[in-house]
Amino acid sequence: MATITGINLSTPRVMAKTTESPKALPIRSPGLNNPWKRASLFRSGRMYMQPLRAAPDSISEKVEESIKNAEEACEGDPASGECVAAWDEVEELSAAASHARDKKKDSDPLETYCKDNPETDECRTYED
Amino acid sequence: MAICTVYTTQSLNSTCSIYTPTTTKTQLSFHQKQLVLFSSSKRSGSRRGGSNTCVITCAAGDSQTIVIGLAADSGCGKSTFMRRLTSVFGGAAEPPKGGNPDSNTLISDTTTVICLDDYHSLDRTGRKEKGVTALDPRANNFDLMYEQVKAIKDGVAVEKPIYNHVTGLLDPPELIKPPKILVIEGLHPMFDQRVRDLLDFSIYLDISNEVKFAWKIQSVDTVWRASKASIEARKPDFDAYIDPQKQYADAVIEVLPTQLIPGDNEGKVLRVKLIMKEGVKYFSPVYLFDEGSTISWIPCGRKLTCSYPGIKFFYGPESYFGHEVSVLEMDGQFDRLDELIYVESHLSNISTKFYGEVTQQMLKHADFPGSNNGTGLFQTIVGLKIRDLFEQIIASKAAAPVEATKA
Repeated sequence: MATITGINLSTPRVMAKTTESPKALPIRSPGLNNPWKRASLFRSGRMYMQPLRAAPDSISEKVEESIKNAEEACEGDPASGECVAAWDEVEELSAAASHARDKKKDSDPLETYCKDNPETDECRTYED
Repeated sequence: MAICTVYTTQSLNSTCSIYTPTTTKTQLSFHQKQLVLFSSSKRSGSRRGGSNTCVITCAAGDSQTIVIGLAADSGCGKSTFMRRLTSVFGGAAEPPKGGNPDSNTLISDTTTVICLDDYHSLDRTGRKEKGVTALDPRANNFDLMYEQVKAIKDGVAVEKPIYNHVTGLLDPPELIKPPKILVIEGLHPMFDQRVRDLLDFSIYLDISNEVKFAWKIQSVDTVWRASKASIEARKPDFDAYIDPQKQYADAVIEVLPTQLIPGDNEGKVLRVKLIMKEGVKYFSPVYLFDEGSTISWIPCGRKLTCSYPGIKFFYGPESYFGHEVSVLEMDGQFDRLDELIYVESHLSNISTKFYGEVTQQMLKHADFPGSNNGTGLFQTIVGLKIRDLFEQIIASKAAAPVEATKA
């Protein structure tokens, strides 16, 4: 995927930059210091990272489709059961989509592993 | 097809299967109530792979599952509230391991949260055909909801259906064992009187339309026109079937736009009200400074400096649907830790076990939405009140001998 190649290509560039400036000034890319800001940072640049917020495609598509259906269903009579049920479906699907997004965001492999195996070395945490 | 499961519940949280009647012989020497429950439910034809489930159970009569109802629009996925609640008890709520990945259930050591959407009698296609919303009682099976919640309360495990929010279909059921605390969360926990009577405590999460709308336009899933239309289309059903439940709630959390910023409609700064019913057994409302007085309090001043737009509290007695209630209101948000500690130290009856427990809980989940405002504060406080309620119920049951089981 484009995302992965993008990262691989840019890494050596950043490294080279830091060695060029021996004064070790703060690296200009805030993405390194604030990796969580990356998604928005790179969107305009060369690298494009898929926004973290995107829900699994099938659900997002379903939401959009349901909105279209609802608008169609309401063209005749906006108070009809058909129209109301259609908007209810939009509501339910968008809730499911945001749920799926939250789940995806939470699924850090190390966190998941450590939840089940807190005793292992890789999961040790230290005070200070 | 019929799936039959046989369980014997000896004590809280332990469920063991029995296959031959003779093995129970030794256990019968206790004051044990043998309870046989047959739950076979008819569901509409649109249900895919409709199965009859029967659970034969021998339950101990002294089971102590307490049942909490949480009502809110767009029913489930109030997982922030649930995670705050289970965190107060210690332990995180997780989906059941190894089950249906689309299960709506959350389980922690003490608490099981079930989503009432699982009691939809009409699936998505069925509702579309009939032109009814999920808010409509006709789309929900209250008989099964009542039977199963009652069974769990009596210490009996049940096979609960799963409503799959992704596919809109009813999936094969999952086994729910009686926990110490069962939370039923969704659109209608207080709609049916039989279910309502099973609740030891009930909460209604009341998000004002202004805030709902402000939140929705920030959501990435629905476009502006869609959110407006969907709120408006669902409103008649919402007003008819969901909103009236708040009169039955022991606590209502109202989320309103701020009054600190004139004309604000961003929904980022919130005014949150905690409405607490008076005279509820095992629940004594939180108060500010002087119980029963009317107090308006701006904690920001000489001792505490707050950033814009500041924080404002209100406390006082009010009437809510003809019930006497105490109202605690917070407008604004916490920007610094000392603000939260300062506020906590001035609240009374919050059922903490040590000084600073509210602050500790809020900090622990600083990444959850609402952690810097009244929603997080009041959800945490309600969690502490529920822990207190649970401990009081357990203590009172322990004090009263097993009379109930002999009856």
